[in-house]
Amino acid sequence: MNKRVLLVGLAIVVPLIVLFAVSFGRETTKVRSPLLGRDAPPFELKVVDDERLVSLDQLKGKPAVVNFWATWCKPCQDEHRVLYQGARLYGERVQFVGIVYEDDTTKILDFLNRHGSGYPTLLDRGGKTAIAYGVYGVPETFFLDAEGRVVEKFMGPLSPDHLRMNVQRLLEGS
Amino acid sequence: MISSLGTAMVLAALAISALGTVTAFAAARTRSRQALDWARRSAYAFAGLMIAANVLMIIALLLPDFSVGYVAQVGSRHVPRWVQVVSLWSSLEGSILFWGAVLGGYVALSVYRMRGRHPDAEPWALGVILACSVFFSFLIAGPADPFHAVPNPPPDGPGPNPLLQNHLLMVVHPPLLYLGYVGMVVPFGLAAAALFSGKLGPALLRSIRTWLLVPWIFLTLGIVMGGWWAYEVLGWGGYWAWDPVENASLLPWLTATAAMHSVMVIERKGLLKGWTLTLVLSTFLLTILGTFMTRSGVFNSVHSFTQSDIGPTFLVFLAACLVFSVLLLAARIGKLQPEGTIAGAASREAMFFVNNLILVLITLTVLLGTVFPLLAEAVRGVQISVGEPYFNRMSVPLGVALLFLMGIGPALPWGGTTPEKARRALTRPIAGGLTLLTLGLILGARSPWMIATLFAGGYAFQVTFGEMLLPALTRLRKGGVSGASIATSLGALLKNRRRFGAYLAHLGVVLVIVAIAVSSTARVSQEVTLREGQSVVVEDYQLTFRGIETRDEPHRQSVLANLDVSRNGRALGTLSPRLNYYFIMREPIGTPAVRTTLKEDLYASAMSIDTEQKLVGVRVFVNPMVVWLWIGTAIIALGGFIAVWPRRGAATADARSTRPATTAPIATTPIATARHEAQPSGPSDGGATGGAVEGA
Repeated sequence: MNKRVLLVGLAIVVPLIVLFAVSFGRETTKVRSPLLGRDAPPFELKVVDDERLVSLDQLKGKPAVVNFWATWCKPCQDEHRVLYQGARLYGERVQFVGIVYEDDTTKILDFLNRHGSGYPTLLDRGGKTAIAYGVYGVPETFFLDAEGRVVEKFMGPLSPDHLRMNVQRLLEGS
Repeated sequence: MISSLGTAMVLAALAISALGTVTAFAAARTRSRQALDWARRSAYAFAGLMIAANVLMIIALLLPDFSVGYVAQVGSRHVPRWVQVVSLWSSLEGSILFWGAVLGGYVALSVYRMRGRHPDAEPWALGVILACSVFFSFLIAGPADPFHAVPNPPPDGPGPNPLLQNHLLMVVHPPLLYLGYVGMVVPFGLAAAALFSGKLGPALLRSIRTWLLVPWIFLTLGIVMGGWWAYEVLGWGGYWAWDPVENASLLPWLTATAAMHSVMVIERKGLLKGWTLTLVLSTFLLTILGTFMTRSGVFNSVHSFTQSDIGPTFLVFLAACLVFSVLLLAARIGKLQPEGTIAGAASREAMFFVNNLILVLITLTVLLGTVFPLLAEAVRGVQISVGEPYFNRMSVPLGVALLFLMGIGPALPWGGTTPEKARRALTRPIAGGLTLLTLGLILGARSPWMIATLFAGGYAFQVTFGEMLLPALTRLRKGGVSGASIATSLGALLKNRRRFGAYLAHLGVVLVIVAIAVSSTARVSQEVTLREGQSVVVEDYQLTFRGIETRDEPHRQSVLANLDVSRNGRALGTLSPRLNYYFIMREPIGTPAVRTTLKEDLYASAMSIDTEQKLVGVRVFVNPMVVWLWIGTAIIALGGFIAVWPRRGAATADARSTRPATTAPIATTPIATARHEAQPSGPSDGGATGGAVEGA
């Protein structure tokens, strides 16, 4: 028996099997966030088209919709018009913020020029904010109340109905 | 009736494969001829029963007989005949049943080709292959039973997933992938047999290589057809998205590719034996892992079947196969001693080893990226996705390195050479690299990785093309330019099919990698809403929206937007992207329209069609070189088929071989004789001269 082969083999194989075994029953589409009901992780990020910084503290006072997205993600492209329309409809009462995950500035600016931009788009260099929010995959949207607490998290592209429902919940809460 | 008959067939297949496994292992232990004959008969019977069960299910789908559980789930009276047949693999239970048929086919064919050729390995291989068959029969008989009876059959069924009804490529993509996945059980069995028996002679090696190459060709075609289907159906203008299930199909392809190359190092130098067998075993294990990913509900993917109960059963099988492989390797790898050492960096075997390391590194990178979300969640309770940028960032440099090595490896001789000769061999192809690079720069290539890819592609192309034509050119040089010598030199090309096929496949790979690099970096797209009569200009193309057309089919209604295409004032025809409304689905599914040329594709995808306002929201892409991806793949497959095609007279060539077995038998068992090992292997490769085989 070659002990080195045995040990290396088992060191690869056993964790893999255990990992798969504990992952059963994982709900891959409806992920409840441990952040629900808690304060949203703070951030201070640069706006994509100027040198301005936007932080979570600045958003407090009004409910906020924080959307994580990227130009390489097809569902995000489809979702963009929903958020764009949403910001026009509710922008006075709710703040919309886009946080771009793993992308480059040229592509983002090109995308926003073509599809319109009605709210600040922030750059998350190194994905630290996305990690802090436990983003599983883009697009993901966090609905924050006026105190900066996470009220709801939505995975996948928002439909107009989903957006309306969640925004109304935020407005009723405030 | 069909339900009971189908269930009986599957249960019989389960029993017969179990019997075959027991008798095959008994034959291996006791060397009983009778037991081996029973194992072979059981294998044929298993194949017959599995294929018959599939035919029965197709009949049930065509009737359609809704008293059969699977037909009630995916059958329909209102879909075309071909969709009814394709429904066989459109959902979980049917796809596993189809897996059984493909497995049966491979089992029967491998038993037929193996019989008597590897007396030491055959019973072990048969035992391992049939043991895997037991698992799949069990799965079909129990957790994923497609034949369960429906007490009150519905008058009609919903039909399969509309995405699968949208394109004819769906007819070929899954079967090709299955032919690739399932076929890896045969080299797995042969590699396990080599370890059990402690012998890895040239004939067995050739069989391993051949049985690896056959599913590898199908896997290559299956993966690319999947990309082509996504490109033609999904409407986002791309063909690869690093989806977990796409990754799962890529993993065994990578290790199989590495193994096919390292087999050559054993053949020529007697090195990397344990490494190669590990790669072969890993290839099969990764196919099972891939199947687990699609069917366990653990991964979130566009490909995933709905959450099912077979996940835990599959995990048990995966775990059993993994532990079995590790134990077998640990127990027997010591028997496979290398017969020398690598002759230095400037040798083909050294380059093959580096190529292997890069392929394994890509495999690990993709595997890590795919399971990382599970790991992050299990360890930290945090959900995170590594996403497309991770895979691109990691795979692009490794892919370019691999492309470059495809040029360096074949330029160097086996066994090493002097630094001076190596320098000369390696500097010549720089001309090819610079030519393609210059061409790229003129056409507008600017990104550093694109430039590196073009250089490496040109370099590899020159080496591959030169090596491919070498036998013909040598003949021509000897015989002068005449009709007869041209014919002889062409004959020389095809004489060593394995060598010619391998280099042809390399040419295809070069084309594919360059096409991927160009099409993914130089793509232009525009999204626009057009009113009837309005136009949009994308690059040189002008698209004018001429109107909307509606087509009714039994299973769907399609709304087409007709776009007249012209280039520099010259009319090129009409593109009609469409939205298909299926009766079982609320949201429409789009089918893009593509105008393909050798230079680029004009790709139009309808986002929305407003029949009242006469408006179309359309996304237009100009994708350069995409067609070369499909052409390159066809060349790879053609090269593979040429290399694997059985050669007449291979037996005599092998028997005449005076070269000693490159890999001496490792254990001394009475049945092992040089005569046996010199007999022809399974579907023999071409070009084996003197027991050693040239190849890239």
